Parts: sequence; structure tokens; C-alpha cells
Amino acid sequence: MATTLLEVQDLRTVFATKNGNVKAVDGVSFHLDAGETLGIVGESGCGKSVTAMSVIGLQRPGRIVGGRVLFMGRDLTKASETEMREIRGQEIAMIFQDPMTSLNPVFRTGWQVGEPLRLHRGVDGIRALAGAVAMLGKVGISSPAERAKSYPHQFSGGMRQRAMIAMGLTTTPKVLIADEPTTALDVTIQAQILDLLRQVNREFGTATILITHNLGVVAGMCERVMVMYAGKVVESGPTTDVFAHPKHPYTWSLLRSIPRLDAERHEALKPIEGLPPNLIDLPKGCAFHPRCPFKIEKCSRDTPVLNRVGATQLAACWVTQAGTELKGA
Amino acid sequence: MLAKFVVRRFLASIVVVLGVTLITLLLMDRTRGTYVPGIDLNPALRPEDIARLRTNLGLDQPFYMWYVTWIWNVAHGDFGRSMIDGSPVTSHILDRLPNTLELTGTAIVVGILLSIPLGVIGALRRGSKADHALTVVSVAGFAVPQFWMGLLLILIFSVTFQQAGLPWLPSSGATSPLNGGDLWDRIVHLLMPATVLAFFYLSVWSRFTRSSMLEVLSQDYIRTARAKGMSERRVVYLHGLRNALIPLITLVGLELPGLVSGGLVVEVVFGWPGIGRLAFERALQYDYSTVMGVTFFATLLVVAGNLLADVLYAILDPRIRYA
Amino acid sequence: MIDPGQAIASDLPAPAFEGDARRPAQSYWNESWERLRANRIGIVCGSLIVVLALIAIAAPLFTQFLTHVEPSQLDLDNTFKPPGGAHLLGTDELGRDTLTRLIYGGRVTLGVAFLTIALSLTLGTGVGLLAGYYGRWIDDLLMRFVDVVLAFPAIFLFILMAILFRPTPITLAAVIASVGWGGVARLVRGEVLSVKERDFILATRSIGARDVRLIVRHLLPNVLPVLIVAATLGVGQIILIEAALDFLGLGIQPPTASWGNMLTNSQSYFFHSTWLVYFPGITIFVTVLAANLFGNAVRDAFDPRLK
Repeated sequence: MATTLLEVQDLRTVFATKNGNVKAVDGVSFHLDAGETLGIVGESGCGKSVTAMSVIGLQRPGRIVGGRVLFMGRDLTKASETEMREIRGQEIAMIFQDPMTSLNPVFRTGWQVGEPLRLHRGVDGIRALAGAVAMLGKVGISSPAERAKSYPHQFSGGMRQRAMIAMGLTTTPKVLIADEPTTALDVTIQAQILDLLRQVNREFGTATILITHNLGVVAGMCERVMVMYAGKVVESGPTTDVFAHPKHPYTWSLLRSIPRLDAERHEALKPIEGLPPNLIDLPKGCAFHPRCPFKIEKCSRDTPVLNRVGATQLAACWVTQAGTELKGA
Repeated sequence: MLAKFVVRRFLASIVVVLGVTLITLLLMDRTRGTYVPGIDLNPALRPEDIARLRTNLGLDQPFYMWYVTWIWNVAHGDFGRSMIDGSPVTSHILDRLPNTLELTGTAIVVGILLSIPLGVIGALRRGSKADHALTVVSVAGFAVPQFWMGLLLILIFSVTFQQAGLPWLPSSGATSPLNGGDLWDRIVHLLMPATVLAFFYLSVWSRFTRSSMLEVLSQDYIRTARAKGMSERRVVYLHGLRNALIPLITLVGLELPGLVSGGLVVEVVFGWPGIGRLAFERALQYDYSTVMGVTFFATLLVVAGNLLADVLYAILDPRIRYA
Repeated sequence: MIDPGQAIASDLPAPAFEGDARRPAQSYWNESWERLRANRIGIVCGSLIVVLALIAIAAPLFTQFLTHVEPSQLDLDNTFKPPGGAHLLGTDELGRDTLTRLIYGGRVTLGVAFLTIALSLTLGTGVGLLAGYYGRWIDDLLMRFVDVVLAFPAIFLFILMAILFRPTPITLAAVIASVGWGGVARLVRGEVLSVKERDFILATRSIGARDVRLIVRHLLPNVLPVLIVAATLGVGQIILIEAALDFLGLGIQPPTASWGNMLTNSQSYFFHSTWLVYFPGITIFVTVLAANLFGNAVRDAFDPRLK
């Protein structure tokens, strides 16, 4: 019986701008069980990063205006800043996209990697460094004791990301959130980092949320996936099911737009028509309907709600909820 | 590695010093033919004597010989002799240098100590009234002529206060002529001139710290630091400030070479017995060689100061060392 | 006959969204100029500078109609008169009218400042362009030379040159420029180095353009924005330097009035005629402030690095 570590219910995060309120996260709900890997997929600006930041309370300058984030039963949106600091870096760790800019250039790597230990476990500098060196070794950095003395700019991109991962794991958190961990890396290094994340998930049992816009990454890594669009979850379910028979036109279009090696040579690429929506002034009804090849009249009137479609999947689409299969050229 | 970096910069500095010497002597050349320091106004001297003295002092040598002699002298600490009284420039410099360093050193230290908190406040409370007030003061401070500010301070705190019967600040010198010399006396004399200098530094550096801090706080590694669960204070002052200070130190470093010359105007206004005032006084007397000697000395300090600043920067920013 | 223009136009895909076609493309200069115009503080300060310059240029007119005296006109019966009446800003120790001297002083100060900038920019740009474009030993040589010039503490050099050469407004401008050009040279060289690597230079060279043409017609326009910014930001500092030199007696000599030398003897005014201390100083302050703020506005509008 899997224990649910994290449960997000109807989370709403808003950014105030001079043109109006941007609803970056608009009613997002999902759960994460112990040990599993959940992928959050969507294009830039769909709200996936803001969702993650909201979970650990770093959504500033945005504001959480609704919903709950239940971590081991506690509602984090109601927690004080001091309480959140206990959780950040210790129970829920987050690593970011570009390790070159995400690591502080003026501190030695070992010092930075060991910092969560000094902060949360109260260990002294020497023991923290030893812990950091051990972790650096575990993530596959050779001669970790030497490397720990170096500065981030002396590392290669892949090594830096390994160091970031090490930094997130020193306190053996229950949840690791990885925001686009491979986007800034070379393709060959990407594969290595993903292997590392898989290994970490196995060895430490850390539940992982993997945020990415790359469907290929999701396919290789995540048991479950959640697709976001315009601040909402439009589909979620086991990865194999979602990829095999997507229940939301956006997911369907995304999967179709990936260039494939086995496609016919003369076939044109199939991009998604139109442009992403303006988050201040969303279209009436379903946010995706202006670009949707399957839309019906109801789509432009009523906003769809996430509901069960098929045995294992949830989708927010009137068309599929009515039973229509998504097919097409 | 650090050592290689230092050596490279040192060699470059040597080249610059040689160039400075050349230009200095070229300028001096205009004056070489006419004077014999300290002696030529003596009517008892015969023309032959003057000619002999000039030969002895190397004043009629071809330029390149003079160049070599000058470098030799400087390497031994001899910066020439006054044209008025033949006194060695070096002794004047040694007399006055501590005073100048006292003034500019104090101003720089005060400038840094005040700029950092003001800049950080401006960055953390961006857009607030405090921030706007700081900006206005900075902008104004950059436009005020130093000498005028000095005059105003004297007018207020020396003249007007004295006239009003309030305790007043002395307006000239580093110490009082009678019974002076103790620490309090020195501080009281230092107060106004150092304020003028520090104010100027402050107006530039506080703004700079502010913008540097703002830029640093928007960096990704600050986000990472917060995600590690540390207090905002630690984020700002340990992870943030450490990075924000680097450009500030560079800027301060650019002032270090000017440590000796930066206070000249203030020295003159406040009668401060420093190197700048020495050059000024001697200039009014057309004592070319003293002014040259002092200028050359100050330039050497600039070159040394630049070198020091480069090394300091390399120590602070590990990315430079290994470049 | 098919009109090639029309044929080509119809082949192009329609704009991706309506917003595309509406805004006309703007040149860098237009865009920057508009941005400057939108900056109110900048415009106010810029206008102030223009007004001051006009007053300076038209100085004789002002004295003829406003104050009715010459700047060097002595009036020993009316020394140290406080502001008011015939002498709006009072008189000095020789009965000379303060306002008149301020107006004429502005001529000198602003004139020297602009001349200094002109000289500094010309020499600095020339050296910077050559060093940046030709590179290698020319660059090394020129930049070492710049290092040497920049090593001299400016104020000492000014003092030295003031006693070696006679300080007329023109020589004063030359003296101040002799230190300032170094910074300009470094700036220009930096810009040239970054522009040089861009593809359009390579393209131009590949169609056979000669060096001079390349430098003047292609590099220089790209370097201009940085120059403009540097010049406007530098005006204020140059005015302060010039005023300080005059104050020390090493610049413009009396009886020619300049804002700085009106303050040379101010220590003796402390006890009775303090307006003689305030007015020239305030004038300098306001002018430099306006120049600095205008310089900031120009930089915000024109600096390509802020785009």
C-alpha cells in the first residue's frame, strides 16, 4: 500500500503585474507517493515550475491564493516561514535547470554541497564536508575529495549537475523536485544524468518530481505523468497509458508533433497551430480550445474539469469525457 | 595559479613604469636648461662655477644619460632635489606622505563602511522612501564640487559656529600648532576634510553596491540557496553580499591608486600638510623638480596600487585566478 | 512583365499574427531618440543645459540688457554689496557684478568643457579604433601607451602642465583632454573588439572593402552609441575638474571670470559676504547635476548594452 507523501489540492498561485493578475497556477491537483517518480510536462510558461516553487513556498513574488499543499498530512500553505525552512532542503529538496548559474561561483563546491547538512543537521564544517564528499562520490564524481575543493566553474556541465543532485540528497529528503535537470546539458550528458536520477530513486527511495518539456525524458523516467497547460492540469495517468492513448487533445498534439525516425520522409512536421494563451486574459471555456482540432461547441463556453477518462487516466476535456477517441492524421 | 597571475601583472607594471619615466623626463626636459637648484640666484657665483655645478648635477647630459641616471636615482629612493632650496624631494615626500594616507585612508574606509549598508538597504527596500532618499543624496553628492563643499563646511562649522559661540572645528592643518598632536586633536582636525572625501566616495559606492546587490539577488544561485532552507538573512548576507561585493572591491581598488593624489584639492582647502598640498605649494613657486619628483612618486604608487587591486580581485574571485 | 517586387512579396508567408505588420521598423537612432524624449527628467536637464549654453553664448546680450555692466568692470565705490537692487547677485571685492561674472564665467567653463570633450573624444576614438581594428602589436603598443597615460594621477599632471604651459582656455582644455582620452581609447577599443567579430564585418570585407572604409563606415557608427554615452556622462566631471583647477589658480586666471576662480579668494569672504561663496558654487552644482542627470538619461536611451 503506497503512502502518499505529497498531495496538492486545487492550488492557485497568482502574480500581480501592471497588466493584470497572471494566473500562473490555476487549480492544480496531484499527488505523489513514496518512492515513485512523477513527471510534470508542458511548454514554457504553463506553470510547472511555479507549481513546484509553490509547493516549497518559494513562489514569491507570486502569491498562493487558494488550495492546499499537504505534505505528510501537514498543510504547507499554512506553515510559517520558519517551519518551511525546516522542510526546504531537508524533507523536500529542489534542484534547478542550469547548474552553472545555480551554484554560487564564489564558494567551493564541497562547501556548498555540505551546506544543507550544516543548516539542518547542525553538523560542523568538517563533518559536513565529509558528508558532501561521500555524496559526491555516490553521484559518480571521481576523486570527490579533490573535486570538493574546486569551484563550480571548474566543473563540466554534467559534473555540475551531479554536484547539484548531490547537494539535494545530502539530507536524504523524502521528495526531490528536479526542475528541468537536463535541459541545459548536452544530449549525451543528459542520458547520464537521467540514469543517475533513476539510480538515486532506487537506492534512496526518494520520491521524485521531474519537471520537463521533453516527452522523451518523461518516457524513460516517470511512472506517472501529468500534463499542464495554461496553469491547469489537462491530463494525468501512468506514462505508458498516456503515451499510448492520450485522452486530451493537447497531449495528443504534443505526441504527434515529435519528429520520428520512422516517419515517412515526405511527411510534413505537425506543429500545434496557434500560440500559447495569454495568462492574464485566458480564452473563455477550455484554455486550449482555440488551437484544438477536436473542439466542439461546449469547449468555448464551459471550462472542463479533470475527470476520469478510461481506466487509469484523468483528463480535462469535454470531448474525451463524452467518450470520443482521439484519432486523426 | 595565483603566482603566475601576479608575475604577469608585475611585468606589465614594469613596462608602464618605464613609460611613465620617459614621459616625465620629456616634460621635465623643457625646464632642464634653465635652472640650477637652489644656487643660481647667488650673485657671487661665476659663470664657470655655474657651468661646473650643472655638469656635476648632470643637468647638461644628453637625454638618455639623464634617463638612466634618473632611474638609478629613483631605484635608490632619490626623487630629485628642489629648485628652490636644493632640499631632497624624498624627504619632503616622507614627511608628508603619512598625513595624506591618514586623510585618504580614513575617507576610503569610512566610505566603504557606510556604502555597504546603505547600498544593501537600497537594494532590499527598493522603491521605498529610504531608497529614493539615498538615490537623491547620491546623485547630488556626485555633482558637488569637492572644494566648494569643503568651503561650505568650514563656513558652517568653523566660522559660523565660532561666531555663534558653539564648539567649532578647526579649519586647517592636521594638528593644532599649540598643545596639539594627541588623538582627539587629530580626529577633530580630520573630521571635515575626511567627510568631504568620504562623501564623494559614498555617493558613488552606495549606488554601485545597490545595483550590484540587486543584480546578485536576481541570480539563480540565490534561488538555490533559498531552496536549501536557510534564513533570508543568510541568503542575503552570506550568499548574496559575498558576490555583490566583488564588483565593489574592484571599484574601490580603482581608487587605491589615487590614494595619494585623490585628496589634493581637499588638502589645499583645509591646509592639510600632505603630498598634494606639497605639490601645489611648490607649483606656485615654480619649483619644477619637486613637482616632478612628487608626480613621479605618485605615479609609481598608482602603478603599484593597480597591481595590488588586480591581485586583490584575483583572490576574491576564484574565476579570475584560473582563467 | 512581372514586377519582381510584387512577385516576391506574394511568396512570403502571411505574418504570424496581426501584430506583426502594424509597427514600422525603427532605426536604432530613432528608437533611442524616442526613448530619450520619453524621459522627462532627461529632457528637463537637457533643456537646462541648452539654456545655459545659450546664455553663455549670448553673454554680451545679457549684460547689455540685464545687468548693464562688463564682467571686469570695477566699481570701487560699491564693493561687497549684498544681492539686491542694481546688482542682483551682489558685487565682489572690486565691485564687479556677480551675475555678470557668472554669465561670462559660464562661457569659459562650458566652452572649455566642450572643447575638452571634443579633443578627448577625437584622440581617444582614433587611437581606440586603430588599436582595436589592427590588433596585435599595434594594439599592444597603443594600449601600453594608454596604460602609461592613465597611470599618471590626473591632478598632479594638471598642476605640472599648468606651470609648464600658460593656462589659456584652449591650453586648459588640451591639458584636461590629455588625461581623459585614455579612458575613451580603452572604451572604443573594447567596442571595436566586440563589433569586429560580428559577421557583417566579415561579409563587408569579403566583398573587398578597404580598411579605411570599413573603419569609418562600418565600425565607427557602431561605436558611436558608446561614445555618446561616455561624452554625456563625462561632461559633469570635466566641469568639476575645470572649476577645481581654476579655483586653485592653475586654470583660467583672473581677471577673466570663471566659476572656479570666483571662489579662489572665498576664504576671505567668510566673515561678511557669504553670497560670494554660495552663488558660484550653486551654479557649478546645478550645472553638473543637470549634466549628470542628462547623461544618465542618454545612457538609458542610447546604451546598446542595456537593450
